[in-house]
Amino acid sequence: MTEQNTTLKVENVSKHYGDFTAVEDLSFEVKAGRVFGFLGPNGAGKTTTIRMIVGITYPDEGKIELFGERISTEMQNRIGYLPEERGLYKKMKIQDQLRYFAALKGVAQAEADKRIDFWLERMKLAEWKKKKTTDLSKGMQQKIQFISTVLHNPDLLILDEPFSGLDPVNVEFMMEVVSELKAHHKTIIFSTHLMETAERLCDDIILINKSRKVVGGTLRQVKAGFGKNLIALRAVGGETVLQDKSLVAKLTAHADELEIELAENADAQILLKRLLESGAAITKFEQIEPSLNDIFIEKIKEINA
Amino acid sequence: MRKFLAVVKHEYKKIVLKWSFLIGTLLFPIIAAGFAIVPAIIFSIKGEPTRIAFVDQTGKIAPRLRESLAPEKILEKARQAAKNSEMNLNASQQEQMQRGTEQLGGSFAFVDYSADEKSLEQIRRELNEKIIQKELDAYLLIPQNFDSPGAKYEFFSRKAGDFVGERTLRDALNEAVRSQRLADAQIDESKLKALSQNVNFEAKGVDEKGNEKDSDSSFIAAFIIGLMIYITLAIYGQAIMSAVVEEKETRIAEILFSSAKPFELMMGKLVGVGLAGLTQLAIWIISALVLVGIGVAQMSAAGISIAIPNITPLMVVYFFIFFILGFFIYASIFALIGSMVTSVQEGGQFSFPPIMLLLIGFYFSFAVIRDPNSSLSFWVSIAPFFAPITMPVRILSEMPPFWQIGLSIFINSLAIAAMVWLAARVYRVGMLMYGKRATIPEVWKWIRQS
Repeated sequence: MTEQNTTLKVENVSKHYGDFTAVEDLSFEVKAGRVFGFLGPNGAGKTTTIRMIVGITYPDEGKIELFGERISTEMQNRIGYLPEERGLYKKMKIQDQLRYFAALKGVAQAEADKRIDFWLERMKLAEWKKKKTTDLSKGMQQKIQFISTVLHNPDLLILDEPFSGLDPVNVEFMMEVVSELKAHHKTIIFSTHLMETAERLCDDIILINKSRKVVGGTLRQVKAGFGKNLIALRAVGGETVLQDKSLVAKLTAHADELEIELAENADAQILLKRLLESGAAITKFEQIEPSLNDIFIEKIKEINA
Repeated sequence: MRKFLAVVKHEYKKIVLKWSFLIGTLLFPIIAAGFAIVPAIIFSIKGEPTRIAFVDQTGKIAPRLRESLAPEKILEKARQAAKNSEMNLNASQQEQMQRGTEQLGGSFAFVDYSADEKSLEQIRRELNEKIIQKELDAYLLIPQNFDSPGAKYEFFSRKAGDFVGERTLRDALNEAVRSQRLADAQIDESKLKALSQNVNFEAKGVDEKGNEKDSDSSFIAAFIIGLMIYITLAIYGQAIMSAVVEEKETRIAEILFSSAKPFELMMGKLVGVGLAGLTQLAIWIISALVLVGIGVAQMSAAGISIAIPNITPLMVVYFFIFFILGFFIYASIFALIGSMVTSVQEGGQFSFPPIMLLLIGFYFSFAVIRDPNSSLSFWVSIAPFFAPITMPVRILSEMPPFWQIGLSIFINSLAIAAMVWLAARVYRVGMLMYGKRATIPEVWKWIRQS
């Protein structure tokens, strides 16, 4: 990939608050047009990092490049940021608030009005345009907040726990919207500790803990790098092949299938081939990937141990 | 700049389009007009004349009393009282009120009652009976020994609370008794009156240029101006604080800070709210001028000449300049407090110091009104925090030399720069601190760090 395809580049960034180190020597890249999962437990330094990316605070050391340039306040218009701690003016009409947020991102009012109508329609909230925040349910407010982050048509979206507090139907709906944005070549940084959603949405991830990077890369790489090569097998016959210690390290019997842990350097394809050759009737042969959740828990445990 | 203007517009609209602003803005002139007009209307409702009977065993006092209680006489006295009160605008509230009632007086209808050959007991019984029957409102018993110091004049009334009528009667009675005494002593009453005429005492101030000016009306105008600035600064300062707290409390700050520079946001807020304050003040001043204009026109149409304070356009300009200076000083203090605390209630406790400063400034304005050229007046009208209130008061009381006004503007501009600088530093850290109130050492750290 060329440099131009990199939306965000974080290089050896550190941030301290007095004696407390919020972020230490953190480096990663976010490629254009991809969904980047920014994962980590609470207090890992996610919000601090994001605040540095959106230009609210600045790194003590290291540098952050956005769209190939050093981060500056002028760039803020190209970022849409939905903070985890977010809110709306309580007694102001929805339309007026959205207009204000758009104006702060440099959108002219006529254009802003068009986009407000479009997005309210898209979020099925058109009839709430003239209502005040206090008239809206929490889920609706959340959608309005989401609208305020996309009104200025940003190239980079940073969503910090965007689905917290939404019911499953709305989570599904919002995921759809995020996918649409991705289809429009938006880069999306998605910060969460919900691994299931991250796994569904993200192309690339980074996992940080205690202000440091733990693991990062494409989702596939991360999973492959997690090591354990497990295979779920449901078959009749082939027992002799499974006894081969050069292929199988460990065999665990589950209810109606076997869990096979491959021996070191063994190839799943060879195992499959040998099984077929031995005349086994195979109804299921599946390479089991570790879930992001497993990786998360395992990695965090590893560090804390 | 565009973002700054967006913030200004947002803050301005947020205040001005609220009902409370509209009501507050309109209510003030209405209340002010009310204070001026309503008492006059209420006192001018004269009610029924008091039906009164005099029991005069000497036959000397009652005729004089009747004469001096005649409607024409009362009216004449009221005119005299009006003239006195005009000269004495800065008398105490109570005194003014008394004078006002004197001007209006009471009215009486005399009921004939023949007391011949009746005992005092019997007279009382009969008259009390009449009062119960509502044929009579009051009666006065004039004793035989009317001239002796121990003589007791007894007044019985159904309307015990009618202090206006009672006062009128008492004055008339005193006058009647006095003139009877004079007559008994063979002294010519008209001569005595001529001799005991009050001198015509007129207080006029002399300004630096040696021009005479009317001092009374400027006192009041200066006081009103001081009060107006004090109130508006307190109200709009607190408005800034709650706007800041709202953005912090609802976590909107984080979104705002990712869109514009904290300094732009804070200044935009100050300017927007400041413009709203100026709007209100302008409406008040214009309506005050119009009201005074109408009032004066009506007065002069009624033949009463009333002194109005001599306010030049330059004074109005100075007034607005000092309001703006004061606004930025206090608004930045309130913004600083707002970004330190976690709720409006907490902010309320912390807004005590700036409110105290404002109040002290307001109290100093009394000293300035009394002696605009004292060295105390000089210092407080130049000192930061106080000058925005005391200088306009001083300008109205007596125009100080230009260099003093210039110095005051300069010093207070420096104070603004310092306060805005401080507030901006606290604001940009404090707005993102959630959960707990910042302590003073913490705030101090933010100021030094950032």
